Amino acid sequence: MRSVAIAAIAAASAWTVSAQAPRDFDPRDLSGHWNRTSRFQTFSNVWSGQGLTQGTAEAPLTEAGKARFEKNKPGYGPRAVPPAVGNDPMGTCDPLGIPRLLNTEVISPHQTMEIVQVPGRMIQFFEWHHDWREVFTDGRQLPPADEVDPNWNGTSIGRWDGDVFVVASVGFDDRTWLDKFGYPHSESMRLEERYRRRDRDTLELTMTLTDPEIYTRPWVSDTKMFRIDREKSKRWDEQIYCVPTEEYKFNQRVRDVAGGKEAKQ
Amino acid sequence: MRAAYTGADMAHRDSCSLPVLAALLGTALSAMAHHGSNVSYHTDQTMTIAGTVTEWEFINPHPQIYFDVKNETGDIAHWAAELLPTPSMMRNMKVGWTRTTLKPGDQIVLVCNPPRAQGAKACLAKELKINGKDWPVAPGGAGAPGAAKGKQ
Repeated sequence: MRSVAIAAIAAASAWTVSAQAPRDFDPRDLSGHWNRTSRFQTFSNVWSGQGLTQGTAEAPLTEAGKARFEKNKPGYGPRAVPPAVGNDPMGTCDPLGIPRLLNTEVISPHQTMEIVQVPGRMIQFFEWHHDWREVFTDGRQLPPADEVDPNWNGTSIGRWDGDVFVVASVGFDDRTWLDKFGYPHSESMRLEERYRRRDRDTLELTMTLTDPEIYTRPWVSDTKMFRIDREKSKRWDEQIYCVPTEEYKFNQRVRDVAGGKEAKQ
Repeated sequence: MRAAYTGADMAHRDSCSLPVLAALLGTALSAMAHHGSNVSYHTDQTMTIAGTVTEWEFINPHPQIYFDVKNETGDIAHWAAELLPTPSMMRNMKVGWTRTTLKPGDQIVLVCNPPRAQGAKACLAKELKINGKDWPVAPGGAGAPGAAKGKQ
């Protein structure tokens, strides 16, 4: 009984201290440059066969999903093939799309995104491929999925749920992959992103996709962690575009050669 | 110097046997392959190849060196090498990487991962000498600030 009383007093004291300590950040301010610090460069922590990204999650693919998955030939993971005979959209500079852009799938200094909040919108800029997407926060409703023309980054609205910023999206072009392992999605995919600023320097993101055609149940990503990079905005924009003419030349003269095809000068 | 690597090396022996020396150095998979390039090469093997630069592309996603390798009978083979870091990553090494670091006519010696495709004349650069001087192709590589000495 005595120990319970002590624990209660300690808890109350801790709560008092916590309540008195002012937060040194606004949990509803997500603006800034954020560098991914969590290790997985993929949608979820599926097994990859690579030390940097190996995980244990299972993708709950439907039979149709498995068939789509088999058609995708990635350059990474246990099913990796030489890019010369693969079909990763990245290899032709096609848009990576959402959610793949959110994986920030490369390493420093390119594994970064910037969030800008303006009235009515939240905008995300992605270093890799120099892309951006808009999330509308003006109170509009998400249109029915079957009334939206599919887009690379989908159609998105955002709202605050306490201190969690929740983004709901529909209308995705099914030519994009979820990640560099080649996991597919259909045009019917619905995506929910949940952003929470844990502290002054840390942002976390968890995604849940619902796509009954491809996945047997909603599939939840691993928790992506990001650390703020206050120096980033002081540097010049690196403009990491994927330039189709340069990529085509690279593919013809190096990638395809290494993959066993004849060089084209 | 010659070691167990035989695939692509054997295939191009006719055209460039002497300049191409292979050695097993046991390199780890690099995390810098943005386009899945690692899969195209034997990343657990290295070869050494010397040649004359014909072109230098310091562009995204991967800078590229094009160079000619002459064999003992004077025949020339055209080779390509890709570097894994992006240009901005290479600039961050602060050793002077620019669009003009390499020029046509420069003499290079490359230690690189050989291609998996037999007879292919492309490799993945791991170490590079330009006109006798080490130039790092990855942070901490030969010639990089703080890298181990004695690689001349």
